[in-house]
Amino acid sequence: MATVTQRMPETTDGGTAAVVVKGVRKVFGTGETAVEALRGVDIVVPKGEFLAVMGPSGSGKSTLLHLVGGLDRPTEGTIEVGGQDLASLSDDELTLLRRRRIGFVFQFFNLLPILSAAENVALPLMVDGVREKQAFERAAASLERVGIAGRSAHRPTELSGGEQQRVAIARALVAEPVLILADEPTGNLDSAAGEQVLDLLRNVVDEGAQTVLMVTHDPRGAATADRMIMLKDGRVAEDHELGRAASLAEVLSHLEELEG
Amino acid sequence: MSVKHAFLGLLAEGPLHGYELKLSFEERLLPSSPLNYGQVYGSLERLERDGLVEHEVIVQEERPDKKVYRITAAGLGELDRWLRNPSVPALDLRNETFLKLAVARRLGDIDTAEVLASERRGSLRRLREVTEARRQAGAEGKGVQLLLLLDLAAFRLEAFLKWLERCEELFDQEATTNGNGNAEDA
Repeated sequence: MATVTQRMPETTDGGTAAVVVKGVRKVFGTGETAVEALRGVDIVVPKGEFLAVMGPSGSGKSTLLHLVGGLDRPTEGTIEVGGQDLASLSDDELTLLRRRRIGFVFQFFNLLPILSAAENVALPLMVDGVREKQAFERAAASLERVGIAGRSAHRPTELSGGEQQRVAIARALVAEPVLILADEPTGNLDSAAGEQVLDLLRNVVDEGAQTVLMVTHDPRGAATADRMIMLKDGRVAEDHELGRAASLAEVLSHLEELEG
Repeated sequence: MSVKHAFLGLLAEGPLHGYELKLSFEERLLPSSPLNYGQVYGSLERLERDGLVEHEVIVQEERPDKKVYRITAAGLGELDRWLRNPSVPALDLRNETFLKLAVARRLGDIDTAEVLASERRGSLRRLREVTEARRQAGAEGKGVQLLLLLDLAAFRLEAFLKWLERCEELFDQEATTNGNGNAEDA
């Protein structure tokens, strides 16, 4: 890989925002067939926040995730990740940013079937020039963090859906990125496995320095987050601060009010 | 919810007096629902009237006498019938959000989207609390009964949030149909 020796450009500010989306529009196609997927979106995600993005299909939430992840560029507006304006980066620099500063978690896990769990997790480090021994040590630590160190020699087909997603999260975390982008991470899991994955993402935010931006359809997923943004027709329609969680005793004492 | 039958269930394990029934109900059966004394003694009176429990008075020297309740054969029969027959699911249709939406649609002073947004925030915050409590309860190794109670609360809230989404879809659909109505009819 030619990019190994490249250095990431310095960040412009060590500010408190992990992600800044400013006036972003995204149009697919041209002329009469043009589709405006995002119509002017402004979102600031503070460092250490767990943000859920919801919205009906076609609302633009996947487009937003792709733009923030540097997988596509906006038609208009700016996106900063960890203080870096994505528009100022060349394609190679963008690749580096994705590899080092952003971790991706997908609905269908996207693990390589011929590699073991440990190899799947170590691979992005080795692609980035980390030596094999060190890459596998870090992969082992990452698998430990998501609670499946015992499965590191297994291939994806030998793992349950929930385990595969945890391997995918270990892979997303291994480079210690500032930002985790999760696209329907529980969409392909049963409810128990889904809950474990949500717990894990919650812990990532609570215990690490990471920020999570998660697109979800699942209300329980949204309720694991600190804040929920609802997109509709390419705009932010709702923005709800969900607040800090209460203690078990407090919740129990007014559980009955929950009805209806 | 039948407090009476819950009491029959507790008394099937052995005799108890009123205050013990209240505590057992709250600790062993439904920690989310404290009972007031009216409910406790009202339920016991009705059970006794129907011959499902009986009591004996224990004379205490320093404190007021207490009544200790025990289940009768008829009570055991009724408990068995209750356990084996389906409950009528509570639908809770006397719903405040539903009323707000119905009133908002008539008045037109406030957009239903605004009502839906604020209701969604309320429910999501509740679900956030319950989800976190569920996590804590799981991490602290609480018994399965408490976990399931919190799950029940969470599933109800999820269903309600899904219904709010449905409200939005149908209101949007209605607006579109009304907006394009003539064109489509032509």
